[in-house]
Amino acid sequence: MNTTSNGAAAGAAAQPRTWTCPFCSLLCDGFALEGGASLRLRGSDCPRARAGLAAFDDIGAPRASVDGAACDLDAALDAAADRLGAARLPLFGGLATDVQGMRTLYRLANVGGAILDHAHGEAMMPALRMLQDRGQMFTTLAEIRNRADLIVCIGTDAVSSHPEFFRRCAPAASQASACRVVFLAAGEGTPTAADIPWASAVEALRPPADVFDTVAMLAALVDGRRIDDADGELAALAEAMRSARYCVLVWEPARLPPQGALVGESLLRLLMNLNRKTRAGAFTLGGNDGAQTANGAMSWLSGLPLRSRVGPQGVDHDPLQYATGRLLDERAVDLLLWVASFTPELAPPATALPRIVLGHPALAAACAQPGTIFIPVATPGINADGHLLRADSVVSLPLHAVRDDGLPTVAEVAHALVTRLTVDAAAKEGVQ
Amino acid sequence: MTTIRLKGGRIVDPANGVDGEIRDLGIRDGRIVALHPGDKVDTEYDLAGCVVMAGGIDLHTHIGGGKVNLARMMLPEDHRLNRPRDSLLELASNGCCTPGTLETGYRYAQMGYTAAFEPAMLAANARQAHMEMGDTPILDHGAYVMLGNEELFLEMLARGEDPQRIRDYVGWAIGASKAMGVKVVNPGGISAFKFNQRKLDVDEDHVHWRVTPRQVVHSLARALSELGVPHPLHIHASNLGIPGNIDSTLATIDALEGLPGHLTHIQFHSYGKEGPKKFSSAARQLVERVNAAPNVSIDVGQIIFGQTVTASGDTMRQFANADLGSPRKYVGGDIECDAGCGVVPFRYREQSYVNALQWAIGLEIFLLMDDPWRVVLTTDHPNGGPFTSYPHLIKLLMDKSFRDEQLARLHPDVAAIADLREIRRELSLYEIAIMTRAAPARLLGLADRGQLGIGAAADIAVYREDADREAMFATPEYVFKDGRLVARRGRIQAVPVGGTHFVEADYDPAIEKTVEAWADRHASISYRHMKIGTDELCSCSNGGALLACKVHGRGRTL
Repeated sequence: MNTTSNGAAAGAAAQPRTWTCPFCSLLCDGFALEGGASLRLRGSDCPRARAGLAAFDDIGAPRASVDGAACDLDAALDAAADRLGAARLPLFGGLATDVQGMRTLYRLANVGGAILDHAHGEAMMPALRMLQDRGQMFTTLAEIRNRADLIVCIGTDAVSSHPEFFRRCAPAASQASACRVVFLAAGEGTPTAADIPWASAVEALRPPADVFDTVAMLAALVDGRRIDDADGELAALAEAMRSARYCVLVWEPARLPPQGALVGESLLRLLMNLNRKTRAGAFTLGGNDGAQTANGAMSWLSGLPLRSRVGPQGVDHDPLQYATGRLLDERAVDLLLWVASFTPELAPPATALPRIVLGHPALAAACAQPGTIFIPVATPGINADGHLLRADSVVSLPLHAVRDDGLPTVAEVAHALVTRLTVDAAAKEGVQ
Repeated sequence: MTTIRLKGGRIVDPANGVDGEIRDLGIRDGRIVALHPGDKVDTEYDLAGCVVMAGGIDLHTHIGGGKVNLARMMLPEDHRLNRPRDSLLELASNGCCTPGTLETGYRYAQMGYTAAFEPAMLAANARQAHMEMGDTPILDHGAYVMLGNEELFLEMLARGEDPQRIRDYVGWAIGASKAMGVKVVNPGGISAFKFNQRKLDVDEDHVHWRVTPRQVVHSLARALSELGVPHPLHIHASNLGIPGNIDSTLATIDALEGLPGHLTHIQFHSYGKEGPKKFSSAARQLVERVNAAPNVSIDVGQIIFGQTVTASGDTMRQFANADLGSPRKYVGGDIECDAGCGVVPFRYREQSYVNALQWAIGLEIFLLMDDPWRVVLTTDHPNGGPFTSYPHLIKLLMDKSFRDEQLARLHPDVAAIADLREIRRELSLYEIAIMTRAAPARLLGLADRGQLGIGAAADIAVYREDADREAMFATPEYVFKDGRLVARRGRIQAVPVGGTHFVEADYDPAIEKTVEAWADRHASISYRHMKIGTDELCSCSNGGALLACKVHGRGRTL
């Protein structure tokens, strides 16, 4: 598998080059990157990408550490294998990695058994449980770009977590289109017409009810049911949705209150009804930090999505029990292996349990503690090649190293641990 | 250099006209070789009482890609049962109608299959399809890219583009997605549904592009023929599942105008509308037509009673059937101005008139076809039923009394009137070997697979002779992949990474400008990412062998 790219020497990196951004699940591939030691984005002012890139400015020569003491990679791997081998039930959390990282972590999980959850597991579950209970009707970026005449963002401004979202939805300049964007129950400070210049109108509706009641009301109105005290704006929106040729509902499970899956289910019912007469689809914002990738790869390898336990007894999936916070609070696991290869924002949760962190180099200081092993790893799209799945779970894109920091990939570290653990197991059984 | 002798097995190798001859088979370095009785070998297997066939090849099975993965996530209930691991080589993976990729590889290999082809790879999702197939151990694999609903193609067709340009575009699309062939699903209909069209007959206009399914089918079939792609256009015809759709199926065959075409899961397209329930078998009409059309091959898409899930690119038809879901869930998506997907869980019931008749229609098609080389055994996994039911299906085809027993359990009206009652034919091992390995290999242009001749790849399944054909085909005695023992009596012995079959066709690269201009206006990714390079394929498919098939137009394969 591709690892760090030697071809991406610092000298060659001075020219701007096309780049695929790993810092949110839209995987923008239309911008350029400039510079070697300090990476600069060209063609976008995306704050997520800028912050992601800035975190590589002063990484120095990152070193592994065991219990706060710096050591070489092999010593850290030996110590990590020892602790992992001694654990009865580890949790593989974070999982901010690429496809090859997940493939190898899955192999590692199979060595002694593990539970797998992503750092954004809590935010992913409403969409996953909706899928498991009812299904989904989705659309993708190119469909929105070419077809949408009404985009309704429900409970989200879309751009806080995915700053380029509306630019990615923009029809080609040469194309005549009239698309209205409506923010519904999305709070204050939503984008305006100036922020979405291609839209024929941009409006924000702030009905008095909470998001559950608002969506329920909207669904009833779309369904054509008569509601005596219906909110006038909401009724007009429902009518607009019914007469749109292709309406897109944008929602973001991470922004919903507890039981957010119920909002998702209402939206799906609404979409199913809407699609009996006209066309519509949902776009789910989420899946940052490799969440879409980790869930996708886990599902195809094992047959079940994240929040599953893997071991000799097979795979067991439980979206409620196998949650990182709960497992750590209840001490239901006895070790945390935390993977965060994209940004230092994804620090491992505090816990008294032993921790092994495969992390962004800038997490070194936060992980220099007794009981914690830190192994700095490469980031796909910065100093390693890799593949990530986009938010819509349809498109996946290759990412390429733009420089070489001499860091191992998550897959290489996981592979080294698999090798150590399987050799240890064989030695214990007296196998040569 | 490892040399193996398979001693004294009964060889059934239709590709070489061998039917039951008892003799040895030699293997060296993954290939079948001629061995003299005195030659030293590393390992010898005594195959007395065993039948030896080439490894099975499934040319239509949904094993990888976005909609399969959505079906996995959607149906945790399909994955609650964990089959006990009987080999430390197996990693945890489970599921029946939508198994994980690991489980898929293990179960196919345990049944004596050594290759499987994903029939519905979206260009937009091609990387993921190759990743999933790369994570399907043991099996070689490949995929057909779905064309005929992407807006660029429809736009080219609508403006009357020169067929040579269409040919170049198809060649480009195959190369860009690293496909083994091309599939068209509800020709034009997936796109039409995005424009809110709910029905599209063979000679009906797409509401926006004003082209017909007939034009779509013909132009794709012509392009493939001119490019020299071995596998004929793989066609999921219009009007899937609709009573009376035999008319559009026959019209689709007409649309080929003699060009090669493979009509897939034909059972779902062979319905009449006779009788009190306005739903009847059109198997005889279909077979009569296919028997007389040597350019046409089919696979059946047999239904199997029980729980499964239907996963299809045909959003138009899947949305129409969403209310029939059991359990009641639905996934549908419009995808990238390229294609779509619809997933509906489904339970085929013996006491349902419709399901019982579907079952009978599938078997009638198998049994009425004159030429076994043009009919391939499939359940359209998982749409008609999971691939693990193949041994059961083989028994239905080989054993008239077993078939009658099953028929008697079905909805009484079907049991009483089905044509199937009168069909006495029982397929032979030779015919089964054609339908499960020799014919699919030939239809895919795999010269060294699906056969046991000298020089062929040593993909071999060894079955212990058993009058109960289901038991016989469920658990082969030995399975070899490229000469390596991968399964023994159902127990996995090795888990090599399978290879990827794909076609490299010649086309005029000038077409890339057209695609790039389209991408700038319409796509959501940059043009440079619309092509998967060979190195990238290697990493997607997990480092397996790249089995490129170079073709040079007009049917010449080198």
